[in-house]
Amino acid sequence: MKNPLLRIENLCKSFGEADVIKGVSFEVYPSEVIVVIGSSGTGKSTMLQCLNLLHRPSSGKIFLEDTEITAPGMNEDHVRRQMGMVFQEFNLFNHLNVLGNVTVGMTRVLKIPAAQAKEQAMAELSRVGLADHADKYPAQLSGGQKQRVGIARALGMNPKVMLFDEPTSALDPELTGEVLAVMQQLAADGMTMVIVSHEMGFAREVADRVIFMENGYIEEQGTPDQVFNTPKSDRTRAFLSVINRMEGV
Amino acid sequence: MEFLTSAADMMKFLIPGLGVTISVTAIALAIGCVFGAAMAVLRVYGGPVARTIALVYSILIRAVPVIVIIFILFFVISEVIDLTPFMSGAFALGFASGAYQTEIFRGAILSIPSGQMRAARGIGMSRFQAIRCIILPQAFRVAIPSLINEISLVLKDSSLVFVIGVPELLRRAQYASASTMEPLLAFGCAALFYMAMTLTLSKALEAVEKKFAVNF
Amino acid sequence: MNEFIEYAIIALPDMLQGTLITLEVTFGSLVIGLLIGLPMALVRVYGAKRLQPFCTAYLTVFRGTPLLVQLFVIYYGLPEIGISFSRMAAAFLTLGCNSAAYQCEYFRGAILSVSKGQMKAARAIGMSRLSGIRHIVLPQAVRLVIPAWSNEFIAMIKYTAVIFLIAVPDLMGRAKMLSSQHFAPIQTYILVALIYLVLVGIMSIILHFVQKKLAVPGLDFKAEVH
Repeated sequence: MKNPLLRIENLCKSFGEADVIKGVSFEVYPSEVIVVIGSSGTGKSTMLQCLNLLHRPSSGKIFLEDTEITAPGMNEDHVRRQMGMVFQEFNLFNHLNVLGNVTVGMTRVLKIPAAQAKEQAMAELSRVGLADHADKYPAQLSGGQKQRVGIARALGMNPKVMLFDEPTSALDPELTGEVLAVMQQLAADGMTMVIVSHEMGFAREVADRVIFMENGYIEEQGTPDQVFNTPKSDRTRAFLSVINRMEGV
Repeated sequence: MEFLTSAADMMKFLIPGLGVTISVTAIALAIGCVFGAAMAVLRVYGGPVARTIALVYSILIRAVPVIVIIFILFFVISEVIDLTPFMSGAFALGFASGAYQTEIFRGAILSIPSGQMRAARGIGMSRFQAIRCIILPQAFRVAIPSLINEISLVLKDSSLVFVIGVPELLRRAQYASASTMEPLLAFGCAALFYMAMTLTLSKALEAVEKKFAVNF
Repeated sequence: MNEFIEYAIIALPDMLQGTLITLEVTFGSLVIGLLIGLPMALVRVYGAKRLQPFCTAYLTVFRGTPLLVQLFVIYYGLPEIGISFSRMAAAFLTLGCNSAAYQCEYFRGAILSVSKGQMKAARAIGMSRLSGIRHIVLPQAVRLVIPAWSNEFIAMIKYTAVIFLIAVPDLMGRAKMLSSQHFAPIQTYILVALIYLVLVGIMSIILHFVQKKLAVPGLDFKAEVH
């Protein structure tokens, strides 16, 4: 078994009095696709944003390859360059066009020369199917298009792992398909991905491992088959039955 | 001195003052913009010391009439360096405008959704880079209407530097008034010039607003 | 520092006398501004089309030219065509007319913010237009205008600073005399700045409490501050 790309040991996060994450540990192997599911407010998004240190963990350790990124004195910006994040609300840079959104990180952070950056950016935009929209501004795009630009922007930094924070939750139902298709292709290309999502169908199809979080803990984890069809915990069962009812299964 | 009777003659006489007025205003605005943007960034993103300094600057300067600031800075500066009244006045105006621009920029920065900063950090930008490349450009666009208003205000306040001897429009008008004994003509023409400037400004800047319309 | 305090002790009595005049002019001009500005706002919102150009002209003149130029035109220029004012009168008049232009726009904004439905409802119960304005729209508009008006108050304290240039013995006027008498310009004007700071501070606090008292939940309006 190869070494894990990401190792999370006993991650805890509190905001003031509230303990949001109460001791989460798991590993992510190269090219693995992990989908984190659970009801709202169970700390899934917070946990994901701890992985790239947008939130500073209250305690616990996170290792990227063999480096402990939670060690004091660690250059956080440097860490974040190696992980790509895609947000629920897209957060595209409004004053830059599509091409600009993808290249700004390359030129400003990675110091790649402009011509080369443009080339790489257009490649990423083609990958997500938006090469024709390079000159458009975020305000002119649909939700699904915006999110795909967000994915291209993260990919442009050449990350080791991609983190998706409920990427389709803010989209109208007809638009989720185009984003999920891109994500599926990414997985097929071998990208390591940690995805927080409500899209159970996607999880069943694409995930290598599913993690069910409840109340700040990992309640259960396993292959999609294990978690969806033969859940070990009652809580998992309860959650899945609600979801199944909602999806009309 | 020629006996200037017609309005046209008066206007011709005042024109050099017009040039000085516009230069003083332009320099002051530039200085104010630098102060304002810097202090706003300190107020929003700075540590406790930086925030306090910026807050004190903003509150103190806005509580005091601009003409008092002009006087104080004029006398203080003249103790230290040998600056012309023009430079001294432009600096004082800029220093004062900076306090108002601090509030303008601060409001604009605060109106930028927090997701923008998160996304910028997400691709590995440092805080400084994020502020410089992502937050400030957007904040500037949001600030444009208020900045337009500020240009108009500084233009009018530029008349105050006449008290320290800057040969701008009002001083020239006063000189004309004294030598021709026609104060109404002199000051009236000056007033017309100011009105022409403010009207041109608002028309020109309406067009700029349309061009850079914030359609986030 | 001691030198400064010593000077302050000498200079303050004179300055405080001047401050009284400053305050007098501040309040007076605000009232004049109100008396001209509010009716003008009503004319702008409800008045006949042919009255509009006069309002627009007034606003263009008083908002498009510096206060100092207005002051000189009124005090030095008008006597040329036979209209003479005393120093104080000129100060009150200029500051008042100037403030009126801005107050007009604040009130206009506030009146326009009161939803059209209010007037509709007033007419529906049989009120005349005038009644509707007086009993329904204005009371709400007045509450909406309070933040902007408070700002105008504070700003006025600072605007009065220029009237010393027509020899009004206000705070700045006294300061100028003291400064040349004692050859201490920096200390004098720093003292002046401190007095303005205190004035503005106290007024801000008072207005803050007045605002709180008069606030009606749900009515909020941010006018453009000048």
